Amino acid sequence: MNKTIYQNSILSRWFIGIMSNQKAFTGSCIILIFALIAIFLPFFIQSPTDFLGTPLSPPSSEYIFGTNGQGQDVFAQTICGARQTLLIGFSAGILVVIIGALIGGTAGFYGGRTDDILSLLINIFLVMPGLPLMVILASWLPPTPGTLLGVLVLTGWSWNARVIRSQMMTFRNRDFVSAAIVSGESNIRIIIVEIMPRMLSLLASSFIGASIYAIGAQVGLEFLGLGDVSTVTWGTNLYWASNDLALLTESWWTFVPTGLSIAIVSFALTLINFGIDEVSNPRLISERLWRNEIPKDMVSHGITPVFNHHE
Amino acid sequence: MNKSLIYIARRLSFYLIAAFAALTLNFIIPRLMPGDPASIIFARFKGKLNPEAINAMRQSFGLTNDPILIQYWSYLKGIFRGDLGTSIAYFPEPVSEIIGSGLLWTIFLAGLSLVIAFSIGTTLGIFIAWNRTGKLDTFLPPTLAFFGALPYFWLAMVFLYVFGFSMNWFPIGRAFGNQVSPGLNFAFLFSVLYHAILPAFTLIFVSIGGWMLSMRNTMISTLGADYITFANAKGIPSKLIMLRYAARNAILPNLTGFGMALGFVLSGALLTEMIFSYPGQGFLLLQAVQSQDFPLMQGIFMTITFAVLGANWLVDIAILFFDPRTRK
Amino acid sequence: MSKPLISVKNLSVEYITDTVPIKAVRNVSFEILPGEIFGLVGESGSGKSTVVQAMMRILPPPAVISKGKVVINNENIMEASKADIIGFRWKQISIVMQSALNALNPVLSVREQIHDVLDTHKGINGKKADDRAKELLSLVDINYDRLESYPHQLSGGMKQRIVIAIALAIMPPIIIMDEPTTALDVIVEREIIAKIIELRRELGITILFITHDLNLLMEFADRLAIMKNGEIVELDKVKDIQKGGKHPYTKKLIGSIPSASGKREKGILSKPDSLDSPKSPILEVHNLEKVFQSPGIFNKNKIVAVNDVSFKIFKGEIVALVGESGSGKSTIAKLITRIMRPSSGSIYLNGKNKKVTESRSVPLDYRKTVQMVFQDPFGSLNSIHTVYHHLARPLLRHGLKDQKEILSHIIYLIEKVGLNPGKKFVEKFPHEMSGGERQRVAIARALSLEPQIIVADEPTSMLDVSIRMDVLEIFAKMRKENNLTVLFITHDLASARYLADRIIVLKNGSIIEENTSEDLIQNPREKYTKQLVKAASPGWLNSLSKSS
Repeated sequence: MNKTIYQNSILSRWFIGIMSNQKAFTGSCIILIFALIAIFLPFFIQSPTDFLGTPLSPPSSEYIFGTNGQGQDVFAQTICGARQTLLIGFSAGILVVIIGALIGGTAGFYGGRTDDILSLLINIFLVMPGLPLMVILASWLPPTPGTLLGVLVLTGWSWNARVIRSQMMTFRNRDFVSAAIVSGESNIRIIIVEIMPRMLSLLASSFIGASIYAIGAQVGLEFLGLGDVSTVTWGTNLYWASNDLALLTESWWTFVPTGLSIAIVSFALTLINFGIDEVSNPRLISERLWRNEIPKDMVSHGITPVFNHHE
Repeated sequence: MNKSLIYIARRLSFYLIAAFAALTLNFIIPRLMPGDPASIIFARFKGKLNPEAINAMRQSFGLTNDPILIQYWSYLKGIFRGDLGTSIAYFPEPVSEIIGSGLLWTIFLAGLSLVIAFSIGTTLGIFIAWNRTGKLDTFLPPTLAFFGALPYFWLAMVFLYVFGFSMNWFPIGRAFGNQVSPGLNFAFLFSVLYHAILPAFTLIFVSIGGWMLSMRNTMISTLGADYITFANAKGIPSKLIMLRYAARNAILPNLTGFGMALGFVLSGALLTEMIFSYPGQGFLLLQAVQSQDFPLMQGIFMTITFAVLGANWLVDIAILFFDPRTRK
Repeated sequence: MSKPLISVKNLSVEYITDTVPIKAVRNVSFEILPGEIFGLVGESGSGKSTVVQAMMRILPPPAVISKGKVVINNENIMEASKADIIGFRWKQISIVMQSALNALNPVLSVREQIHDVLDTHKGINGKKADDRAKELLSLVDINYDRLESYPHQLSGGMKQRIVIAIALAIMPPIIIMDEPTTALDVIVEREIIAKIIELRRELGITILFITHDLNLLMEFADRLAIMKNGEIVELDKVKDIQKGGKHPYTKKLIGSIPSASGKREKGILSKPDSLDSPKSPILEVHNLEKVFQSPGIFNKNKIVAVNDVSFKIFKGEIVALVGESGSGKSTIAKLITRIMRPSSGSIYLNGKNKKVTESRSVPLDYRKTVQMVFQDPFGSLNSIHTVYHHLARPLLRHGLKDQKEILSHIIYLIEKVGLNPGKKFVEKFPHEMSGGERQRVAIARALSLEPQIIVADEPTSMLDVSIRMDVLEIFAKMRKENNLTVLFITHDLASARYLADRIIVLKNGSIIEENTSEDLIQNPREKYTKQLVKAASPGWLNSLSKSS
């Protein structure tokens, strides 16, 4: 049996399982659409930085989202802003999961003194409020995307590390791990071949959760002016909207499209996580099915319904 | 009883370590940056302040030429005395005084919103998980999840725009009106509440989904437990089972998570304050960033961190009352 | 012939899934007469718990009762209104649930959990309720100062008794006991059953008793029904079943594992003769100790799991380590297979020169020599990997076979443990096999490295009773054909006698007694051993009621 094909089949089986869930599938499609728009559309529309129209003009046939305080096309800004925001958001997501898996997995698997120290580290970062720390770091450091990435990862890694650690600890105590140890397998092999494949759902939802956090926090920092305000991102769009007194001038179109985009992306990601949850916990689904089949008046808490559903 | 005291002491020692780590982080960060922090400040304020003022700033900022460890020691001593340095934007006012004025407003706004969001969210979660009858359970979780995905400050802008600027139903900023004088009088209290409505509503709107969803999840897993089936068999009335058997167990993991979520929710509160010009820590933070007032920024970081750590400790103590397994 | 107290006719229960519904119970019918003890026997998954929970209609979703009529004390359960059912529960019929360990609400005290029944059904509270609670606790021999305790502060046996006390709270005429003693130690189990029977005598309660242990039930039940795959296959008076029973499945259940006492019967495996010449032992354990410390700085709690244990095992022997849960037997298994390190003491493998507890990392050589079979056949196989993976990995790791020969060797191994045809099983996943099949795969995995010693930690306790003997026979066969040494860990004295040459009895981490199997059974020296032997022998009930 070819080992590579076999390993891939675990991954592909899992992936197909997740995608057959309605919620996960819908969420993934939305994200895919946004990603494609972010990557390709900017080539086809006019530059977001050109000062074209009259500042603060409402949506019209010429500029479908209107113009902002500098006379720039809001539609172009919204589309082009997606690139950096999504790129940094998902990159931070991946980094957070990698660091979380390394630290949390090590702590959970090896236990003992190692766990005591790493857990302390995880808990300290977990309990410290993120925003003030991010603000300080971002203020001192130069406003580059790298800074942003670093700051996001530093404040976001601990949550996932903790979750991964407890899953790892659960698996560590299972007999199949002891059996592998007794056969002489090395620890690394056990972690990668026996345990990790069973944590695919957890890793995936960690990645998604971390990305949601990263996108939101990034936008928050840029809104404060701590990003590079000369670049076009969703966060800086909102920064400029606020700076140009969007509220006072009642120019809602300068901040609503960007905000909605952020909300839709975050929501789609949340939807994917809902889907992953359902797949990992089949009880949720079977209960829903049960509820759908039983006539309403027979559903009473604590009393098994008597109902021949074949009739 | 002994076990409870040990538990409280253990948690306290953890928070002290975390506080210490935060303090040290706070100390190290400016000194890790490329270049001498003093000259960075100097460069930024070149021409705006005379050399004596800059020197005084350096002194109060702790940026002397002493070796690092001495600087660290005097920094720590200062913190314990309550000395958080001198503000740059409001020079020469001490940071601790500036922060002091805003702390209560943040605690008021964030605290009020947190209590309301947690109570309503948790209660909703209990009912939704209990009934699981179609409509409410299929439509509420995704809706509230969508609201939870909105950035706090963006939603704040939307509400401010719609209810403040457009419809003029609510004030557009500040904690209380100009005409009222602070004090324990009815007009003042009313004004405070009136001004708090929009910002609190923003916070509640975004955060309620999270509380509801996690309570719903823990309720669902609790409802699958054997002791629920046993309670049913005993003929205990439904309402009692829902509350005393299911909810009381389901809420425990949420309480543990409450402490951790605290820091997160607080961040949202800070951003919301900025939009509403609510005179709390958030607003101060915004001003500090805009004027690059590092001592103020760091002072706010310390204060918020200590507040969150303290609140976490209080939640841990509260758990003692809810979970007999921690007691002995 | 008195009128039946309980009448069940054609009961069928289904579980709704996203595909075809699972038929858990099919057309089950039986009657229970007032005052009798009626037994319901079956393996796990046979549907017995489902039947009784359906009778009370307490089955959680996604269960549906698709057919049937149940009449309890003249009340038609299937057509009763919601209010009737709730009023009915506990007043007419109560239940002691399987694994009472989880039946108690962790955040409420014992007092609160007794009070709420009293309050709901009789409106009693306050001092009157307290008095009643104390009465109930004394009925089950529990001190009333336990009223304030929380479930996590109680032992398994105490929790079980308290659940029984709650079941008795308003003196229902019928009590269902669903495997009330399965998770308990053998001696405690017998005491609780004796207590139940005593209560029946005094209070005249009708009892429906569920268990997987037919032999246990035959000691005290009046009539019983045997279930398999959701259906009843045998229903008769116990006296008649003892003569043999009609259904082949019944015969299989009765015939499994001869008792631990009495004369040595034909069924017990014969031991090879060449055993009586001990050379140097293959495994030696000296003053082994394992102490567990609760984590955390302030914690002073220590648990001594293994306390100064020493014994020897010779090549080709099968030695049984017998003890209840908490005796330290599983810890010893983990120490010998080097999953854990001992706190002190030494382990010698193959002669005095090779003291193996010194090194931190375990040499590959040791792994090849000492292998293990675990208790839970599902937990010891990784659900995402096939049988092939489980057997190939050890072979590849130790470089025993190369890629070309592996598949055929694996098929050979699988067929050796009784799974035919090997080719079909090679690609199966754990969830596609039964418990017995999985355990055979686990044994094949252990055997693949051709070890000299196998440590088998309760290899049959999670398997259906009807196949336990078959699995034990694999070990006996391996010992005979390959001169394999087996350390067989179990709580069941009967299986120990069946399989092992020697028995070592453990209690609370220390060795109580050690002897050849026959001598230990016929002439136990220590008090604890005597208790164990008595509890495992037929007629234990009489001996207990005499002594109480």
